[in-house]
Amino acid sequence: MSDEEAPIPLRVANKKAYVWDVEGGTLPHLSQQNVFLGLPLVLLPEETVLLVELGAAVLIDDPSAHDKPSSAQLEKWNEEQKESIKTQIALMETKNAKENSERVLSEEALRKRREREEKRRALAQAQAAEAAAQESSEASLFGGDAPTPAVTITGVGPSASAAAVNPQASSASVPYTITVAGPSSSLDWYTPNPHSHSTIESARAAGIWDYPSNLQERAQCGVFRGLWEQGNYLGVGIKFGGEYLVYPGDPLRYHSHFVATVIESPTTTLRPMEIVAHGRLGTATKKSHLLCGWDDEKKEVSYLSIEWAGFG
Amino acid sequence: MQSHPSYPILSPYLKKYPTSAASLFQTYNDITYAQEWKDITVVDLEDGGGFAEDFSYVFPCSLSEKFTFEQLQNAFSHLEIGQIFLAITSEDASIVYYKLSTGIVKPPV
Repeated sequence: MSDEEAPIPLRVANKKAYVWDVEGGTLPHLSQQNVFLGLPLVLLPEETVLLVELGAAVLIDDPSAHDKPSSAQLEKWNEEQKESIKTQIALMETKNAKENSERVLSEEALRKRREREEKRRALAQAQAAEAAAQESSEASLFGGDAPTPAVTITGVGPSASAAAVNPQASSASVPYTITVAGPSSSLDWYTPNPHSHSTIESARAAGIWDYPSNLQERAQCGVFRGLWEQGNYLGVGIKFGGEYLVYPGDPLRYHSHFVATVIESPTTTLRPMEIVAHGRLGTATKKSHLLCGWDDEKKEVSYLSIEWAGFG
Repeated sequence: MQSHPSYPILSPYLKKYPTSAASLFQTYNDITYAQEWKDITVVDLEDGGGFAEDFSYVFPCSLSEKFTFEQLQNAFSHLEIGQIFLAITSEDASIVYYKLSTGIVKPPV
């Protein structure tokens, strides 16, 4: 990693690490199974630990980074919202007016609309003849004062239903969108820097992060790091019955991929049935299975590859 | 069992390792008569000894046995080889062989 690259900020909320910043880009050597990444990106806890340990990322205590906004900041935000709404309504009205005028110009369209309306009126009147008072009032809506063609557009613009009730009012019902920014970095009162942690221990002391907290989790971190250091690309292995899917990084050396299972200590009991299950799954999915044993005392990973023997 | 031709060869090991006896018996016979391997010798890991490099090693194990990662690794380092076959036997005489290799080993294409 070059000096110009700042560490990627990982926003931590509820002990999960999220990538919100597009500038962070895709993380080298840590591709996810789902190629179509959307923000925010949730990282595996093992990935998070590795990135922080490498100095490639820092953990931000996100909830604390949202300060209480000052009244000046709130006023400014309010003004910006109002501006945005005004602009949207203006644009929408211009657009509607333009569409309406374009429609009026087309004679063919006018003729067709009149035919449709005639049919609707006839149908509505026929129904009204048999129905109760409520239906007859609806019929009069359709067949009532012949409003100008521009306003009787039914079901086309967003203001259609409002216009049917009161042809005169249109701008009161133009909808607008209220935008809530995705990343908080656009808010004036978001201050990540005082709440940034560059080590796992400091984040743990601040109470925002607690992984790894037991042997199983330490084993996962150790194996994840061990496999990554050998240049592998790692993903979640749930589709293949293992903990990680391992794509060897150098395509010239390997043809196939691996499914990895973490064995948390050298003395954990293994059963032959597990070997069969892992091996069979590997063969069926055209992958090899890798048993990764973690030694918590030596802090080492050792690997055992399983493959069906091909005879017997 | 005693009248079986394999018995004289296996009997000391069957007595020494009673919980593995059935598995050993089944594996030895499968390797000898079904897989038809040659030059078969029983190796007792506890006793040590030197081994030729071009031998294949088979580790019999029944479905009801358990072992640890450590034990497998000890077998590897003791024999000073990179791969062994694990012969997994069951009570209905089914046997399945898996190849275990140290390190990250790609399967042949």
